[in-house]
Amino acid sequence: MAKMTIGEALRNALDIKLYEDERVLVFGEDVGKKGGVFTITEGLQDKYGEERVFDTPLDEDGILGMAAGLALYGLRPVAEIQFIDFIWPGFDVLISDIAKERFRSGGQFSVPLVIRSPYGGGVKGGLYHSQSPEAIFAHIPGLKVIIPSNPYDAKGLLISAIEDEDPVIFLEPKKIYFAFKEEVPEEKYTVPIGKAKILKEGKDLTIISYGYIIHECKKAVEELEKEGISCELIDLRTIIPFDGETILNSVAKTGRVMIVVEAPRINSFASELSAFISERAIFYLDAPIVRVTGWDTPFPYILEHLYMPSQKRILRAAKKLLEGGF
Amino acid sequence: MEIRTFEIEPFTKEPYRLLDEEGKPLFDFEPEDFGLSKEFLLRLYKDILLTREIDRMGWILVRQGKAYFYISIGGQETSHVASLYALEKDDLVMPFYRTVPSLHVRGAKVEEIFAQIMGRASDPLKGRQMPGHFGKKDLNIFVLGSPVGLGHPVAMGIAMGIKYKKENKVIISYGGEGSTSEGHFHSAMNFASVFGLPLIIFIVNNQYAISVPRVKQTASETIAIKAKAYGAEGYYIDGNDALITYLVTKKCVNEARLNKRPFLIEAETYRFDPHSSADDDKKYRSREELEMWKRKDGLLRLKKYLEYLGIWNEEKDEFLKREIEEKLNKIVEEVEKIPFPEPRDMFYEVYVKTPWYLEEEYLELKKEMEG
Repeated sequence: MAKMTIGEALRNALDIKLYEDERVLVFGEDVGKKGGVFTITEGLQDKYGEERVFDTPLDEDGILGMAAGLALYGLRPVAEIQFIDFIWPGFDVLISDIAKERFRSGGQFSVPLVIRSPYGGGVKGGLYHSQSPEAIFAHIPGLKVIIPSNPYDAKGLLISAIEDEDPVIFLEPKKIYFAFKEEVPEEKYTVPIGKAKILKEGKDLTIISYGYIIHECKKAVEELEKEGISCELIDLRTIIPFDGETILNSVAKTGRVMIVVEAPRINSFASELSAFISERAIFYLDAPIVRVTGWDTPFPYILEHLYMPSQKRILRAAKKLLEGGF
Repeated sequence: MEIRTFEIEPFTKEPYRLLDEEGKPLFDFEPEDFGLSKEFLLRLYKDILLTREIDRMGWILVRQGKAYFYISIGGQETSHVASLYALEKDDLVMPFYRTVPSLHVRGAKVEEIFAQIMGRASDPLKGRQMPGHFGKKDLNIFVLGSPVGLGHPVAMGIAMGIKYKKENKVIISYGGEGSTSEGHFHSAMNFASVFGLPLIIFIVNNQYAISVPRVKQTASETIAIKAKAYGAEGYYIDGNDALITYLVTKKCVNEARLNKRPFLIEAETYRFDPHSSADDDKKYRSREELEMWKRKDGLLRLKKYLEYLGIWNEEKDEFLKREIEEKLNKIVEEVEKIPFPEPRDMFYEVYVKTPWYLEEEYLELKKEMEG
């Protein structure tokens, strides 16, 4: 089995789908010769030609319009938005067309497409290259939203997303594109959309997270273990549709919940999860649900290390929660 | 249909036309000179008339409380119908909301158009959108959304699909002049030119985007000239002249099909009624202006031309109108008997497989309905 980074695993997934399905087209700004600013599509144009892997003008409205039209016409577009922070010029196409196409047409038309994009902070990208807007997409009925945290899931989920009949927003945590390698099968496999992964079983506290921050959570969980505190760590993986069952089972077991996301706190997806757990499992709870999030400011540049939830913040919040301090 | 003698240039300052306001030829020609048979012109006229009558019925339904809303096409039918005639059966259509009453030309059943207006279960869209939105996959008509101009970039993507599949088709994307103010128009034209796509953007310039007049919409000399900035050709035509509308659209469709490149057409026309049943046009335009445009009516102009050719008369016209009226009354009566969509229907087709939380929400609603 090969060892791959998230970036390599994603490239491998695109390679497999381009090879086996002529309907798959990969495009966006700089994805051709350059291979994208993060090199995820590197080499694919040489292998599959300019008809199938190509650069577009610098225009997210056009990129998403092209994706919508291609999908409507029976193809399987995989569009790259250079940074998710740049998607807004195409938002009308996304919200008003892509997300609503199946419903508004009475099921006549569908738009099976994937919008891939780097997201999140940690690479000194400032306030226009670091945002985590997953909750905004999650609020739009008709879209699926996926955020992997490791190479194995990244490959399996991207293949699932390309094969899915619904439009998928596939957010890639850019801080860990090439941060570490893991064993990833070279052949094709899929990871199911809508299913969370329990990274570690525990009994005292449930921590729910996704994307890069899951790795900060992991470090915090190791520290807590040393102090004899047993944590259950859930990687949500799919934001919409989210895996409510795995969450509720865990809450029933531990009675304490912490949700950790990079996004600003107000109306974050942590807020949705918190409300969901409150409605359905409040009598299992021994303490209030805690959200550890980015602050409700634009994402900062120099002070990003103070903005993003860190191992330290997660640890402190966990201890407070266990002591009943919230 | 073969066009034998027809040479025009893009980017003119005045709109092209073949007929004057009285339906008289502007120079000495026979329709056959352009490959147009008299039977063809009669069929075209009858379809424009049917479109106008469908429109009239739409307004009546709102007044009768049988529809909640209506959006008009009255006055600009000629540009829609004649341009749709220029397409082949396999070509594709991205309509905008005023196009809908004319879509019977592409094979949409009048019953389906009224089912959409009245939100019945037999509406292909299952009562999910306001009147004025329509689409049918088997007729190559895509479903539009409400935001203006949104169809243009999506149609551009479909044109890319046509090119990728190496098909011999074109797509026509309709919009008002207001849609050219949106970034969507720019995106579609730019991409279509860069990638060489068989896209026709057909702008029905009816002088007003709701209440905002053309001069406040754009400072551009014509809409058609905007194509120049994208390396494409733009043609300015009199949209109330069925002949020129058909011929120019046909020329663009043929060239787009053959050479895989986009075209922009600006058809100048006028909307006779308020923007919608929720609008009062007296606030923003004079009755004199309206009357002036009514004299330029494309339906009337084609009727007079057919009379001039000696193939139509008032008696035939009255008879046809009565026939259409009876037919539409009967259709509406039948559509009224069709039930509204089921509450359950609201929760399906958001995704291909309904997620667990939508199943739960349906059960929640069901309990509430059962009291």
